[in-house]
Order: sequence, then structure tokens, then C-alpha cells
Amino acid sequence: MSIMEYNGGSVIAMVGKDCVAIASDLRLGVQSLSISSNFQKIFPVTDRVFVGLPGLASDVTTLHEQFRYRVNMYTIKEEREIEPETFAQLVSSTLYERRFGPYFIEPVIAGMQKTPSGSLKPFIAATDLIGCLNFAKDFVVAGTASSKLFGVAEGLWEPDLEAEDLFETISQTLLNAVDRDAFSGWGAVVHLMCFFEGSTHPLAQPRRSSTNRIASPVAP
Amino acid sequence: MPDGSFAHPQQRHFNPYTENGGTILAIAGADFSVIAGDTRQSEGYSIQTRYAPKVFRLTDRAVLAVNGFAADGNMFVKKVKQRLEWYRHAHAKDMPLRAIARLIQTMLYAQRFFPYYVYNILGGIEEDGKYHTSLPSYSTAFPPHPLSRVHWIKREWKCGPKVLVANTFRLLVQLGSGAVYSFDPVGSYEREACRAAGAAQSLVQPFLDNQIYFKNQTAPAGQSHPTHLPLQDVLSIVIDSFTSATERHIEVGDGLEMYVVLAKGRSPQGLESIAGIQEVTTKSDSDRVFVIRRELKKD
Repeated sequence: MSIMEYNGGSVIAMVGKDCVAIASDLRLGVQSLSISSNFQKIFPVTDRVFVGLPGLASDVTTLHEQFRYRVNMYTIKEEREIEPETFAQLVSSTLYERRFGPYFIEPVIAGMQKTPSGSLKPFIAATDLIGCLNFAKDFVVAGTASSKLFGVAEGLWEPDLEAEDLFETISQTLLNAVDRDAFSGWGAVVHLMCFFEGSTHPLAQPRRSSTNRIASPVAP
Repeated sequence: MPDGSFAHPQQRHFNPYTENGGTILAIAGADFSVIAGDTRQSEGYSIQTRYAPKVFRLTDRAVLAVNGFAADGNMFVKKVKQRLEWYRHAHAKDMPLRAIARLIQTMLYAQRFFPYYVYNILGGIEEDGKYHTSLPSYSTAFPPHPLSRVHWIKREWKCGPKVLVANTFRLLVQLGSGAVYSFDPVGSYEREACRAAGAAQSLVQPFLDNQIYFKNQTAPAGQSHPTHLPLQDVLSIVIDSFTSATERHIEVGDGLEMYVVLAKGRSPQGLESIAGIQEVTTKSDSDRVFVIRRELKKD
């Protein structure tokens, strides 16, 4: 059996109107045996960037530490936070360094990218295990349920979803996909980032991002 | 390469199976079934043809979709049709749907050790519908005679449906209900409300779970999800499923064939207004079969 399916797990990211979402399941297993129902695969990188790391669980930890180190070095040298697209390039080059002995991870990146006008626009990207970048305009998927995620997302996603609708779309996509995948499931987590210019919307109140835990069998 | 010499061990190999791609799908409604399949046939990365039907009308109430190894699929459909013809000659009627399902099981299991490399989905009308006391189309077509109840019943008999007369002299007509049966290559089968099979099964089935079974959806307070969707909604979901699968799977595309089997005596439910629809029913006064064809992307 493939090492990419050894621990199981899936991640998806979607673009909406002035918002972006990234979601994953919470299962960690050893082939068909489930070990944990609270294994985090999505990590905050900065206030505006998340990275999802589905694949071999030991490499999830290794790569998370590696990215934390490199992002910290970037922040110190540049005296500013890394932009989502720059971080995607960092992920790509980090993985390609191990071209002939790769980490068994297919990262998914989601964030709000600064524009020249000063506003923020949604950004998503995904790479394969050796760092080949895919900048999609709609959604990206990775993990053991990827084919199911593709099928449902292609059916449910539409352009310019508002934050609440994007949350529902990504949640339904993930939940229905992992329900047909033996290696993913056992709870899910959704991260939603929104940009509201001078808005009084409750989601626009000062906070880093809103994170919703859904259908988790274990209390958070 | 084997050279026929006995000097060293040699191995010869022949693989009699091919996978020809494509996807099929069937959904059962309250009084109809929709059975659909794309028309692309491929081998590896090559397209053999853009029009190879995978969905076949068996009778006026049964439609069979076959997916997997096309040669096996065509041969299997041919043999099922032959068995149904023999049944007609022996019994002067079409085989009921549940009997066709059991026939397919025995025919598949007969090849247990050299299987037809085919996933089958059978859709149509089952004779297990509820007995209804009145039907608008029937009461207008055959108004009860005020004096002779017997005469009235005889007219009903000739026209086909089972007609029973209750003590209260009310007309009872059994309605057909939509049914879908899905099979594995060696005959294990199950009756379901919906099923996808083939190359894009993993893309389509979770979408159907969500849209047909309302999985992971909560009904508004005090309400419940419908058990059966109207025909127009089902057709929209089928088309969306195939356009999505075409977008993300290389073996799906070119054309879409949707068969609709409508229970006898039911209203066409807007079918007549669908562009390019074709009726392929063979008998009058029976369940009706229609085909709807649509283009899919060819890249």
C-alpha cells in the first residue's frame, strides 16, 4: 500500500468573494486502524495564511517545524510577515530540495493576499509531494479523499460565494467526501478568512480568523 | 521473450480484460427512474469512439446500464435480452423488474470463475406501488358506469393494470414505483434509491449522497427531507453530476444519454417540453420509456 495512504487524511481550500476557506478532517490512522480523532493537519502560518499538510503523519510534524523555522527567518530578515504567494513558493522550494527522497505530504495553502491598492484578495494554492505548484482560481484538494473532494466540489462550488455560503459549501464538500473515504473523517475543522472593508459585519470585528469545528465526535 | 526452449523457465501471459472507462448512474423517483451514462469509450489515454451506448432498454419498464469492459458488457446485454425474449414467448408478458434483477444475479454468478468484467445498474418500474383509490387520468379516461359495475371493470382489465374492487365499490389501481438495482461483477446486488458506477464513481457518489439522500444536511425545524425528488430536479442533478465528472475525469465526456422510465398512468411531469426527448416505448398502455441526449465536453 502507498505511503501517501498510510495515515489517511484530507484537506480542501476554496475561494469566495473577499474570503477564503480551508478545511480538513481530524483522523489519524495506521492503515485501517484509527488512532486519533483530533489530529490537526492545518496550521496557521501568519495572521493571514494557513497551510494544510495531508499525508504521512511524521512528515506533517517535520514539515510544520521546517516551515515555522523558515517563516520566522523570513520575518526577521524582511521585518514583515510573509505573503501567501511567497509562502507558497517557500513550500515549493522546501519540497523540491528533497526531489529524490521526498516528504510524503501534499500541502494546501490558503490566505488573504495584499494587493497594490492595500486591500486583501483571497489566495489558494496546492502542490504535489515534490513542490509542483497549482494556483487554482476556484478550489484545491489533497489527501486520501481527493477524488471524492473533486467530484463534490465541482458540483457545489460557484464563483463569488459570500463568507457564510462559502463556509456551508466547503463544509458540505468535505463532509460528504470524507464520508465515502475509509481513511478520512472522524471530525472536521474549517478555517474561514474574510476581508470586510469598513464593515460592521460581525465577522469583521477584530480577530485573526474565525475557526469552526464541525461534526467532531470529541469535544474540542 | 518466450522462445520455446526448455533451457530456462519461461512464462506466457494473456490478459483477456480491458477497462473501457466511462460512468453510469441511476436514480429512482416515486413513480419514475432515470438511468444515465456517458457515451465515451476509451482504452488507456486513447478514445476509441465518442458514441458507444452503455444504457439499454430491456423492456417497457426496465433499462440496464453496463460499465467496465465494453466487450463483456455488450455480450452480457445481448444475453439478458435473449433471456427476456424467451420469457415473453413462454409467459406472454414482460418479466417483472425484480425478476430481471434476480436473473442478472444468476447470469453473473454463473461466470463466477471467469466473470463478466462489468458493473451493472438496472433501473425501471417495480410492481410494488401502493394501491390508490383514485387517479385523475383514470377517472377521466374510464368514468364509472352508473348502472353496470361489471362492465366497467372489464374495460379496465383489457387495458392492463391490476384492478380490484373493494366492498365499497371503489376503484383500486396499483401504481408502479421507481426502482434501482446495482450489481457487482459476480452478481451481488441490492435495491437502492440511487447509485453511480464506473470511472467517476468516486466523484459522483458522494455528490449524490448529498443531493439525493440529503446526507450531512439538516432539514428546517419542523420539516423533513423529501424521500423522492421530482423528475425535473433529478434530471438537473444527473446533468450536473456528468458535467462535473467530465470536468475532472479524462475517461468521462463526449455525450450523455438519459433514459427515463415513467410508471403507467402517471403524468409526463414536464417531460414533453424537454428539448430533443424521444419516446422508445414499444406498447401502448404500459410503462413508458424516454431517451434524452445531451452533449458533454469532448476534451
